Amino acid sequence: MQRRDFLKDLIAGAVATTVLNSTVVEAAFSAQSGQRYLRPPGALPEDEFESRCIRCGQCGEVCPNRCIEYFDLENGAKSLNTPYITPRTKACILCMKCGQVCPTGAIKPLERTAEDILGYVRMGKARVEKALCLSYQGKTCGVCYRACPLADTAIKVQLLEQPVVLEACVGCGLCERSCIQLPQAIKIIPDHIRQTA
Amino acid sequence: MADIKPFFLWKHLNKLRWLILSLVFLMLIYLPFAHVYQTFVASFSYDLLDSSEKALYDLMETLTSPFINDAATDLDAIKGSTWSGNFFGYKISDPLAVLAQMAAGLTIYWPFFLSGLIPIILTVIFGRFFCGWICPATFLYELNTILSLQLQHLGIKVGRKHFDRKLKYWVLAIGIAISASSGSVLISMIYPPAIIGREIYFGIALGGFGAGLVFFVLTLLFDLFVSRRGFCRYVCPGGALYSLLGRYRIFRIKRIVENCNDCAKCNAVCEFGLDPLRDDFGQECNNCTACIAICPTDALTFNIKISDDENQGPGHLGKAFSKRDS
Repeated sequence: MQRRDFLKDLIAGAVATTVLNSTVVEAAFSAQSGQRYLRPPGALPEDEFESRCIRCGQCGEVCPNRCIEYFDLENGAKSLNTPYITPRTKACILCMKCGQVCPTGAIKPLERTAEDILGYVRMGKARVEKALCLSYQGKTCGVCYRACPLADTAIKVQLLEQPVVLEACVGCGLCERSCIQLPQAIKIIPDHIRQTA
Repeated sequence: MADIKPFFLWKHLNKLRWLILSLVFLMLIYLPFAHVYQTFVASFSYDLLDSSEKALYDLMETLTSPFINDAATDLDAIKGSTWSGNFFGYKISDPLAVLAQMAAGLTIYWPFFLSGLIPIILTVIFGRFFCGWICPATFLYELNTILSLQLQHLGIKVGRKHFDRKLKYWVLAIGIAISASSGSVLISMIYPPAIIGREIYFGIALGGFGAGLVFFVLTLLFDLFVSRRGFCRYVCPGGALYSLLGRYRIFRIKRIVENCNDCAKCNAVCEFGLDPLRDDFGQECNNCTACIAICPTDALTFNIKISDDENQGPGHLGKAFSKRDS
């Protein structure tokens, strides 16, 4: 980050009078919508992802599940046309095609193997809202556990199918998508939100 | 004097160019449909589709089945747009994408750099050829020029203003600087071919156009009512980069002064407002060959040289010479 700060100072100094002033750029381009979104599987951490992504749209174009959507201006100009996933609308099936097609490595090229997925995919982590969860209210459900592609690794169930999210959860969102409660009792908390919070 | 005739095929390159432009544009429309079809195939959902989706499925199946076995995977062979694409396993990217990404990330990611290498080499040889031969925005901009001529014919006022061509180098420099300081490839917001590639995909596969389309329509209106082909001539950052890379291109157009009759049709037809009549092509020429195609006396041809000729003076078939001859 130091190099970037240095460059900012350099540019701000050189063109002090106009729009190029880095504070103006920051203010204009870093608006956040507060929307809870995930980046595609294997994406770099948020800051690095935004600097790597060239907005070519190929990740969405290979997604067989059509879960990858693109920001317009709602998340700030810095995020314009970058890919995101809303797990409640449509969750990621961890096919890993988007990373293989990504030209810049903004989404890492990974194989569809347990090692790669558990080792490098960091979309977020599921969190159970016990007050909303049917199983925790005594009505055996277990849908999230059944939907999980990494069942018993990323999520396990206790008595009455009560779900417990484990450390290995990669945050694909299939549990949130499948939850039969309204509002959903299990949610993915994206990594970029967990880090800043 | 010995007749110097240009190679006869050069005159027809302009038709080939229109063919390539149309094919690239059709490709950008075909790819999103292919993608939607792939998702239908991957989810085995034919009986769940509504009638229009079924029609799309059937059409795409008819179009693609002779070439592939399994649509869900085999159609992945071609993906993306001219900004960055996958072509049978080879990744090809726009040099501007490479430059802007290097600026935004302040690092070089070598696989991505290499994907821009072939376009860079071709640009060094052929100059700004991307602008004339491939760019999907050029296809629309040239149709826009034809529209402006029609409007003029109907008596509607169209724009013919001129600005300084150096403006686009500033746009490039400032765009790269903003990309670097914000850490985000923001230059792709104002680069028409990247916008076109994305917006067609958004419009077809994601059910709605985005903010980029507004910008692109504004550039069309600018070209129509302010300055003919103004965006490409004066603003486009990609055009600026290609012009710089193609400054010493070895494949360039040359005027055969012996055949020239000074009719100036070449200057009138030149989309980039260059001056073939006075041998002034410069780094902006995109080798589109429109001037070669229109020349009535075969006075324009290709030449292998890294610089333009000096102004060769009036054409030998023109008035200045014929007076002296007769």
